[in-house]
This record gives sequence, structure tokens and C-alpha cells, in this order.
Amino acid sequence: MSTIQIKNVTKRYKDITALDNISISFEFGKIYGFLGRNGAGKSTLINIIVNRIFADQGEVLIDDIPAKENMRVQEKIFCMSATDLYDGDLKVKDHYKWTNRFYDNFDLKKAYTLSEKFNLDTNKKFKGLSKGYQSIFKLIIALSLNVPYIIFDEPVLGLDANHRELFYSLLLKEFENGKKTFIIATHLIEEVSNIIEEIVLIDEGKILLQESVESLLEKGYSVSGLAGDVDRYCENRNVIGFDELGSLKIAYVLGEKTALPQGSNLRISAMNLQKVFVKMTEKGGW
Amino acid sequence: MNKLKSAVMYECSTKIKAIGLFYLIEYLIVALIFAIVAIFTNGKDTGSNILEISTVIFVSVIGVLGYKEDFKALIQNGYTRKYIFTATVCMFIFMCASMALIDTVIGNTIHYFNNNYFTLYGILYGYDNPFLNWLWLTVFYLSFCSLFYLAVLIINKVGKRASLFISIVLGGVIVIIIALFRFVFSSETVHNIAEFSMKAMGFMPDGTKNVLFPVISFLIAGAALEIASYTIIRRTELK
Repeated sequence: MSTIQIKNVTKRYKDITALDNISISFEFGKIYGFLGRNGAGKSTLINIIVNRIFADQGEVLIDDIPAKENMRVQEKIFCMSATDLYDGDLKVKDHYKWTNRFYDNFDLKKAYTLSEKFNLDTNKKFKGLSKGYQSIFKLIIALSLNVPYIIFDEPVLGLDANHRELFYSLLLKEFENGKKTFIIATHLIEEVSNIIEEIVLIDEGKILLQESVESLLEKGYSVSGLAGDVDRYCENRNVIGFDELGSLKIAYVLGEKTALPQGSNLRISAMNLQKVFVKMTEKGGW
Repeated sequence: MNKLKSAVMYECSTKIKAIGLFYLIEYLIVALIFAIVAIFTNGKDTGSNILEISTVIFVSVIGVLGYKEDFKALIQNGYTRKYIFTATVCMFIFMCASMALIDTVIGNTIHYFNNNYFTLYGILYGYDNPFLNWLWLTVFYLSFCSLFYLAVLIINKVGKRASLFISIVLGGVIVIIIALFRFVFSSETVHNIAEFSMKAMGFMPDGTKNVLFPVISFLIAGAALEIASYTIIRRTELK
């Protein structure tokens, strides 16, 4: 089966449970948004998937192959991490050369073409690059690798708006050209909301939801009006959060939209992905 | 095998520049010392001996960096700990063998032209067998590499505070062992241990020398250290 399966994964650090019996799967051929607040457990789970740290319990399977300490998955998955793991003293072009040797499916020519597009000087040492260009270098490596699963952990860290746009367009082009799975862990939710197909929301080491962006936005809406009216409307509904301003109140609801009673002063509006994220993680679950 | 070969090549080639720089700086300094001392002693003294010690320090540093830099770089590229460990050991062997070769050739050449210069191996076992000199130096360097590799893995695993505690305990253990030898063990036991240790280093009771014994001893020590390193690295997580 072409998936990344995470089965009952738990990870503890002393008395903190970073991941609490997590079970999810990332199917092949989709772009996922892996969202969560700082310390929610995103990086911990990513690091377990790519064998950088170990789960205390549970297992990760990549196309049914156990991912833990297994070279058979090396050509299946790549993680572009926010942390710098590359040798700072090596030049960009040397990193390309070595990546080309480490992987059977690295497109060296493409890496140089992308470097030109991003104006990345391949003769510079990694440590000599600005934070933004270090991210660009890592993005280029990820985009030039022809592996089925690519994880981006905070991919646009330090990138200016133009480079971010360029990255998103290249990512989509890459996705159209050959089916791959992209998992994007980011805080810039609105930026990726037009790209991602499915969202995985993690909070306090637990998966809050895994759902397609389309259906989530379809059933997420806000109701605003006088506090009393809003409260009455919200009875028996799945409310994920409130905002209040004087006597006015906004309720954020997940579920089927029902018509407002005639003569009602309430107003229903669509809710964007960022709002859903903020309200769900504020509450900590539904 | 190709994956392992690439990892070994990566680890080795990223050290070659450092090795080149090390020898360039070392021999520039040594040449300067030799020149100054030669002027003031009319060429009777060299002013510097046992240059292998600086190589020991260098390979120990590489032992530490072997974990710090290469582990991160290879794990980023999807390598397993088993592959990373194997590649690191291969790199240690390559580096120690190469540096031992350079030190053997240069040390013996200097000694040939100036009898006042002594190599570490020469002092202990003489100058009659350059091959055994190279072999001995290789395993000698290798054991230091392995020791520091293990040390950095332990420090990474247990953290700074626990490492400090371990070093204090180790210091205490050494003091206790010295006390045991001086006040507790019988003179016969002490003599037997000393004789065994001397044999392990190749010095026979009859006054002859056997260089293969220390080679085997260092190999066993190196292997033990590497086994200990592997048991740690296989559970090591990226921090």
C-alpha cells in the first residue's frame, strides 16, 4: 500500500508526552498541510517518520516497510528540515555532488537550474549563505529528489515573498509533473491553504483532525450578532470558539450550515483555514 | 554497498583537506624549530621529537567530529545508524592508516638523516621494521580515535551534567586502583599484572620485544571501544 502509516506512536521526554498514541496515514499522491502550534509535536512526529529519533511505542511504515533503521526506505522519503544538518564548510555545489551520490534519484541538472531560478550562488559555502538562502538550498535539494514522499518542515523560513511564491509554484509544478506526496509543516497556514489538499492538525501530541481542506472549509463557518442570539443559535452545535466585543459575539462553528430564522439579526460568514486552526487549537480539541 | 561506499567516501573526503592542513602547519612549525635549534646547536640537536603525539591529538579531534558533523549530515540523507557507524569506522581506519604511513615515512627519514630525532615507535621498539612501525602506529591512532568517538557519544547520550559526574567517578576509580596496587594487592599480584601489561605492550620477560602483541592489544582495545560505540549510536537520537 502506498502510504506512510503511523501506528500508535507515542513519544515521551521525561514527564512530557510529546506524542500520545498517534495513528494517522499520509496517502500517496496528495499534498498535506501538517499544522500545529509550537510544541504541538509536529517536528517530533516528522523526526520519527524519517528515523532521526525513535518512538517509545508504535511504528511507522512507509509503503508497508518499517521506517525505523531501514535503508530500504532511504529512496522513498526525504525530509527538508528547519534545523541545519548540512556541513557548513561544504560548498553548495559539493552538497549537490554528494546528494547525487547518496541518492539514486537526484536530478543534479535540475538542482543547478533551480539554483539559477533562485539566484543561489552554488560556489558559496553553506555557512556563508543567509538564513533565507540556506532554506532555498534545502528546498532545491528536496525538489530535485525524485522520491515518492517529501516532507517540508517550515520550508519558507526566512524566504522573501517572491521566493516563497516561486517555491509554491515549483512545488505545484512538481506535483503536476509526477505524482508525489508532499507534507508541509508550517505556521503560514493561509499561504499554503490554496496548495494543500488535506490537513492534519496536531495539538498537545494528539491528532485533532485529518480532513480535506475543501470539506473542512465547507463545514466551518462563523455566526455573529448579539451575544444572546448567538448563544441561542449555538445550542447543540459544534462550536470551536468564540470572540466577543462588547455586546457582540462571534461563534465559530463546525457542522452543517442551517438557515437562520426569519428576521434574525445574526450573520453567517465563511471561515478561513487559519481561523479554523486558531480556534481549534485554542480550545484544544472538539 | 554503493550507499555505504558513498558514505565512506563522503566521510573520508571531508577529512582530507583537514589532514593536509594539519601536516602543512605541523611541518612548517617543525621545520622552523629544526632550523632555529640547528643554528644554535650547530646541527647537533633537532629540538623536537615524537611528532606522532600531535597526530594522536588530531585523530582524537576527528574522533569527536566524526560524530558531530558526519552523523548529522548522513542522517539528513536518510542513512541508518548502522551505515553511519560502519562508514565512520571505515573513515577512521583510512585516516589512521594514511597518517600512520606519513608519520612512519617522515619520522624514519628524519631519524635516518639525524640520529637525534626519535619517533615514538623507534624509542619503544627500534627502527628496523618500517612495516611494523606503520601497523603499530595505525592501531595506536585507531584506539585513540575510537576512545574519543565513544566519549562524545556518551556525552551526547547522557548530557553534560551526567558526563561530568561520570568523569568524576572515573577519576575516583583511577585513584582507587592506584591505592589497590599500592596497599591492597600482594606484591606477587602486582608483579603479575605488571608483567601481563608489559607483555601486552610487547616487552617480554626475557628482554626481547614482540611488536605483534601491542598491535593485537590495541586492536582488541579499539574493537571493544567500537562495540561500545555501536551499542550507543544504535539508540542515538538527533538533538
